[in-house]
Amino acid sequence: MTEFASFESIAMDFEGAGHERALAILLLSMADDEFVIGFSDSEWTGIGPILEEDVAISSLAQDELGHAQALYGLLAETIADGRDADGWAYDRPPEGYLHARLLDHPRGDWAATIARRYLYDTADSARLEAIAASSHAPLRELVAKIRREERYHLMHVQTWIERLADAGGESRARLLAALKAMGPDAGTVLAPLPGETALVRHGVSREPFAVMEARWRDEVGATFGRLGLPELPPTASPDRPRTDHSDAFRSLHAEFTMVRRSEVGATW
Amino acid sequence: MSPADPGVLEAWEVFRREKDGDPMRHGGSVMAPDAKLAVHYAREMYSRRQESVHLWVVRRGDIHDLADLDLLQPPLDRSFKKPGGYVMRDKLAAAREQSGQAKPKANTGHKGAR
Amino acid sequence: MTDPLALDPVLPPRERSAMPFNDDALGHDERFGHFEDHVVGGGKVEATDWMPDEYRTAVLRFVEMHANSELMGVLPEREWIMRAPTLRRKLALTAKVQDEVGHAQLLYRVAEDLGKPRDAMIADLLDGKTKFHNVFHYPTKSWADIGIIAWLVDAAAIVAQQALRDSSYAPYARTMKKICWEESVHIMHGRDVVVTMATGSAAQRASIQEALDRWWGPLMQMHGPRSDRAKDRDIHWRIKAKTSEELRQEFLGIYVPRILELGLTIPDADLARDPETGVWAYGEPDWNELRTVVTNHGPKSQERLDFRRQNWEATQWVRDAILGPPQAAAVA
Repeated sequence: MTEFASFESIAMDFEGAGHERALAILLLSMADDEFVIGFSDSEWTGIGPILEEDVAISSLAQDELGHAQALYGLLAETIADGRDADGWAYDRPPEGYLHARLLDHPRGDWAATIARRYLYDTADSARLEAIAASSHAPLRELVAKIRREERYHLMHVQTWIERLADAGGESRARLLAALKAMGPDAGTVLAPLPGETALVRHGVSREPFAVMEARWRDEVGATFGRLGLPELPPTASPDRPRTDHSDAFRSLHAEFTMVRRSEVGATW
Repeated sequence: MSPADPGVLEAWEVFRREKDGDPMRHGGSVMAPDAKLAVHYAREMYSRRQESVHLWVVRRGDIHDLADLDLLQPPLDRSFKKPGGYVMRDKLAAAREQSGQAKPKANTGHKGAR
Repeated sequence: MTDPLALDPVLPPRERSAMPFNDDALGHDERFGHFEDHVVGGGKVEATDWMPDEYRTAVLRFVEMHANSELMGVLPEREWIMRAPTLRRKLALTAKVQDEVGHAQLLYRVAEDLGKPRDAMIADLLDGKTKFHNVFHYPTKSWADIGIIAWLVDAAAIVAQQALRDSSYAPYARTMKKICWEESVHIMHGRDVVVTMATGSAAQRASIQEALDRWWGPLMQMHGPRSDRAKDRDIHWRIKAKTSEELRQEFLGIYVPRILELGLTIPDADLARDPETGVWAYGEPDWNELRTVVTNHGPKSQERLDFRRQNWEATQWVRDAILGPPQAAAVA
């Protein structure tokens, strides 16, 4: 298992100068985001609120995990240190993961799941838009495919957040509680990454994260205004390192590496 | 047709086209509170392995059906509406005999007859 | 004629086909006779057709237990979705469990159209009034179990389900065609997990053998004790086509060679195929264990039912929210 002590060491760990290292960090953070939200959503498989919805949320989880798999694969090609997509996905300690703090919140109830999905999907959508015309062709091609699937995710989550907000009563109260808990971490999906100036300079991304975040906040603000939901707060402790994860994620990590750790190097 | 009781999910019938050029066929049904989620659920239940290229959902209560055999399969003769209602083998044989021409070979069509 | 479940068809008769048993003017016994002739002669029944209470109840019981089994069958495997050792395995297992939820949906839809609402069926399942298959009352102890379940439990199930594709109850028969198509993927996934481990390290191989040893008994019990074809009402009504012993023999015939070719050992010294008749002899399955387990006294019965109950209660507000009329947005 490759040891990563800190985010900075992860950044330093990547060979190659300038934008290639920044590209690797971008790929890893996106892949980890998709991987972790895919895990949280897959926890609903088999226990969804209605059978039809159970099947639907499971498809979303599979889509996100598929995106993670493709992004880790792209990263593996970029870094070419012998690790494959599974090696990247599983063989790191918890502090080696770069996913946004928003995704460190445990699965929670259905309202928390919808709130997280809504905040993440809209933010991810702003990020995908910014790299849709990326100068890095493999990323551009992959993003085009991912966006085709994300369109459905947005339709799904939009329907649900409206329903939960409009239903009033317990439903709305639970949604408000979830937004209160996760709101301060929502912006972490679009928190700046080291080397992002190099990404923009080389056309990997058309804009820095701050611009994506502003665009995303406008969009969420419009929806929340329409639904009478409180405005999203600014990101809490923006300087907290990306590698500082919650206990919920540490437990999740212990569980998802359990079988794989039982025999290192085995084929499964 | 009245909508379902409030407080009960409604049944939506799902129709699917398996590949381009095929007709829509009944796939099954989903329970959903409205058309939007019915469409989502139809996608999940009837195309999550890419087994459809087009889906419809129809509120079950909006389907009007007809299975009355007197109306669909009328008892009196309608053979004049079907190709099988025209039997002219004997008449053709008589005509050929009259004109002195042999019966064309089977399945060779006009060419063989020429 | 008493109706033990007091079922009313949810589908209105609308225009019924001109089958003689659909003729409302006939007396019950005459209709019953026409219906029985139709079904016994290989005829199909649709949800909107008239059917005697005996038939409706028998189909409902059969389909409801099948639906319950799909729903409860989700739980043993679900625990391992989080622990799958590679992305591809995780995707495959998530998709398989998703299919089982999907099958529960398809089957509950068939049962709902026979007159029993889904909520009532789930309530009866959670109250222990209705049953689910024996194999879903056992623990899943290792990743190897995931391979054995997906391969052999699903194989035993598909043997039974293939025989249901010609069920006299047409909505069920149609559903079984779709389900069999999806289950065939599960068997491939399971067999791949098993073959990978059987050809892997010594520890992986031992783990697969240990899992097979634990699951063989429940697998042999799964189709149920031998029964008299002539006395089986479900066969009489052509709801199903094969007896439990026919299904077990079919399962053994296909899967014993496939298990043995992997170098695994089947924990039954009496298991042997008669070369003359082709019939498999086997050690008598523990029918007491089967009875104990399916009456919810299995090793995991109560824990799984509790888990389902908790989750059903925890999501009740969601069902209420999507069913209730939209309310004006409250002040945040």
